[in-house]
Amino acid sequence: MTSFESEPENAEKMQFELGVTKNGLIRTKNQIAQTVSTYSSPREFLRQHSDMADGLVRKAFQNAQSQVSAPSVCLMAIGGYGRAELAPHSDIDLLLLYSSSKKGELPPLVERILYPLWDLGLDVSCSSRSINECLKMAESDLHIKTSLIDGRYLDGEYEFFRNLYGLFMRKILHRKVRDFADALTKDLSLRHKKYEDPNYALEPNIKEGDGGLRDFQIGRWIIRAKYKTDRWDSILFPDHSRSLEKSLQLLWTVRNQLHLLSGRKQDDLTFELQEKISPILGFAQGTQGIEEMMRQYHLATQRISNFVHDILERAAHEPSFVKKAFSFLQRRKIDKNFGMAYGELYLLDPVTFKRDPPQLMTLFEHSQTYRIKMDFRTEEAVMESLPFIDDRFRTSSEVNEIFLSILRKGEQAAGILRKMHELGLLSRYIPEFAEVEGKVHYDLYHVHPVDSHSILAVEELENLKKGLYEKEYPLLTSLIRELENPGILFLTALLHDIGKGQEGNHSLAGAELVERIGTRMGLSAKDREPMVFLVNRHLSMLEIAFRRNLQDEQVILHFAHEVKNLHQLRMLYLLTFADIKAVGPEAWTDWKNTLLMELFLKTAHFFERGGVAEPFVKRDGIIRKLRESLDPEIISEYADKLPDRYLSRYSSNEIAHHIEMARSIEKEILLVEWQVEKEIQAKVTVCTKDRYGLFSKMTGSMFLNRLNILQAQIHTWEDGTALDTFWVEDGTRDIERRLQQFKKDLKTILSGRASLRDLLLDRSDSNGIKQKIIPRVPGDVKINNQDSDFYTIVEITAEDRLGILYEITQVLTDHGCDIHFARISTLGNRIVDVFYVQDEWGEKIEQKQKTDRLKQILLNRLTPQEEIAPKDPS
Amino acid sequence: MKKIEAIVKPFKLDEVKNALTKIGVQGMTVTEVKGFGRQKGHTEVYRGAEYKIDFLPKVKIELITGEELVTQIIETIERAAKTGKIGDGKIFISPVDDVIRIRTGERGKDAI
Repeated sequence: MTSFESEPENAEKMQFELGVTKNGLIRTKNQIAQTVSTYSSPREFLRQHSDMADGLVRKAFQNAQSQVSAPSVCLMAIGGYGRAELAPHSDIDLLLLYSSSKKGELPPLVERILYPLWDLGLDVSCSSRSINECLKMAESDLHIKTSLIDGRYLDGEYEFFRNLYGLFMRKILHRKVRDFADALTKDLSLRHKKYEDPNYALEPNIKEGDGGLRDFQIGRWIIRAKYKTDRWDSILFPDHSRSLEKSLQLLWTVRNQLHLLSGRKQDDLTFELQEKISPILGFAQGTQGIEEMMRQYHLATQRISNFVHDILERAAHEPSFVKKAFSFLQRRKIDKNFGMAYGELYLLDPVTFKRDPPQLMTLFEHSQTYRIKMDFRTEEAVMESLPFIDDRFRTSSEVNEIFLSILRKGEQAAGILRKMHELGLLSRYIPEFAEVEGKVHYDLYHVHPVDSHSILAVEELENLKKGLYEKEYPLLTSLIRELENPGILFLTALLHDIGKGQEGNHSLAGAELVERIGTRMGLSAKDREPMVFLVNRHLSMLEIAFRRNLQDEQVILHFAHEVKNLHQLRMLYLLTFADIKAVGPEAWTDWKNTLLMELFLKTAHFFERGGVAEPFVKRDGIIRKLRESLDPEIISEYADKLPDRYLSRYSSNEIAHHIEMARSIEKEILLVEWQVEKEIQAKVTVCTKDRYGLFSKMTGSMFLNRLNILQAQIHTWEDGTALDTFWVEDGTRDIERRLQQFKKDLKTILSGRASLRDLLLDRSDSNGIKQKIIPRVPGDVKINNQDSDFYTIVEITAEDRLGILYEITQVLTDHGCDIHFARISTLGNRIVDVFYVQDEWGEKIEQKQKTDRLKQILLNRLTPQEEIAPKDPS
Repeated sequence: MKKIEAIVKPFKLDEVKNALTKIGVQGMTVTEVKGFGRQKGHTEVYRGAEYKIDFLPKVKIELITGEELVTQIIETIERAAKTGKIGDGKIFISPVDDVIRIRTGERGKDAI
């Protein structure tokens, strides 16, 4: 090994050989970075830095040549360094060209060149080849071929360089351009696959990633090979090349900063570095600035990506001379403006768009209908015609009709939208869309910028419609196929995040914009209404599904109320699917779908059957009315605790009164009030704290006092207050006294001083009512688990008699049924009672064994018995 | 050291997480899981087609803690995750032999 590695003085001497020390070199680099602003003219920095490296490399080369005797060689810079684009910590790639016979004498020379440079901390690599080797390898190795394209003479034998390049261009680069393009396309897609991981969308690799600097070079290489020019901009429209140049500038600026800040060859734009770079580049402090910088970044890489794909396409598909000669065979006119050739769509007359701008939209319709791409000249004509898209175009019914029909067809609509966006048409046609272009979220969840996310959402709906997810998500698949006009849903998916370009709540802002856009497109109010609703509430379904208790009827009821109808519910579920799926490959999981599906199905049942749901309650209206009679503080205490079903049953005066009752049961265990009507009937209101079996205890106490129950309304508030109303009857006109006694008995029972069973036994012989002879009613019990998502419904028909309600409720309670809601009705001597029950776990009673048993016992009890024998406790 | 695993209803996650942060729990791992216990899945019918929800979605919270916090953590999870209905979930406690923080190589309680 050479000695200077272990001897510092020697190393110092060697470094000094080049006239600079390691630290001195770093200082020089920083000086360049300071004098040449790295962000206003990044290329100037790259050039000056490269010039500096040239000086050092030349010096090392000359020193080495003077120290060892070696054959004549030529020193070249290749790769990025060859282009004189040297970022602060880029590799310095060198090539030594020699004449073929003298190979053995080279290694000492190479060592002498490299070691001092390495000791300065430079990443230098050097290969030595003869001219023939170079050409041979360039033919077989894509990487060597491309690195040679950018070769630059540095020092030594110029003749070697001239020879190599003459041969390389003529024999290799300008030949088989199509194969070259194919190889590069393969290379590009392979490289992108490596960076496909969503994390790279958030923290992109500026060199290797999609639309990164390497992609641009590929485009340039092809131009070099195909058009034999190094001026890549010469084959583009001036506008196009200017915006591309700006994109490159941004990438270079960022890359310089990446290297300078991290002190090494750092090409991943990590969150940490995004945060540091954005203020240096003059973006606002904090998240907003970072998001804006990343938006610019994504727009830049998008432009570069479009550029390279466009160039690759041209190289790969441009017809050969032979084909051109027979082209008339393949040409076909579509209409007076467009034709097809070689499987591409092209414009017949270049001034068509100027004369008749709506043809721009027709072009895309043809592309969809005939499933063909447009040729690149037509694409350029579209870009040139963008200024003709004005308000007249945007409001033209012809244009809008075509646009909507593209969406309505739902085939490759996303692809068409993507093309429109790429060519800049979409943002001209829907200017609001320009605001979300490249817009990113500074977080880990949202992988794509808003514009690509929105188009992806459309694509996911399309995939769903095509049946791509039929196996995994059969429900969603059948839902999208049920839709009458999927175009509206597709348009909504495209616009659902349009509010993200605005300040504040993006759903709300988006809803306003969508109303404006919809009106401009001439959509009917019937179509606009669901769009505005969907955009406004596009997050609510997932919020409820993931964060609320779906076993809670109120949750479903409120959601149903918000969604209004089944049609909107279906669209919301589909949009929620598309939205999450388009966030990133890992955002949508089967887990999430299970929750969303459950919410969908439960809510759908409400719309299809009504369930237990009463007519929707205008909650706010009732609460407002309550203000007239109650202290606002009390209202706010109770407002959330009153269930909708309760609110729907009582007037605001009654509710106000009930609240007052509820407040006083804090002190007293029980409150009973009644109003007697027509001497024999009374409406009884009972207010107490809910407890297990309460209903049965109340009906039992009524039975004790020979009060016949005609109707009952039972409600439990969220705070556990039970508020029940009974309509009772007493044939003996002694109702007042009986009610007094009922109140006393119930109090005794509830306070635990006596059990209902004891009281019943005591008075069982004092039956004062004689049975009349009347037609019999056969008993019937139906147990229904279909009509409600949350309750088992027990429907009982029986002959009315005193105490029957008590008996039924007791059986239910004994079987672990918690009664949530009851509807008691008496029709002559027939009672039809409906109970909504759950088991003690709050679940429906679904096991057949259990329901059968319950049914049997209930049926037995319905048949009148000679005497009331309360169940034996054993 | 103990590992505490709690399976809770998804909508209770925020509540449990907040309650745990309040008592000083510094980190936890949360996974979306599916399964069933006593609360079996069910079948829903929509337009005549049956859609099975057989594995119910839950959230699994895992955390490692020193012995002294175990009781408090369990109580906190219980309180926060309880709805009193079937399917509220379960808490598992198991011993942990050692913990290593990869970056620094710290071991044991320091690495939690």
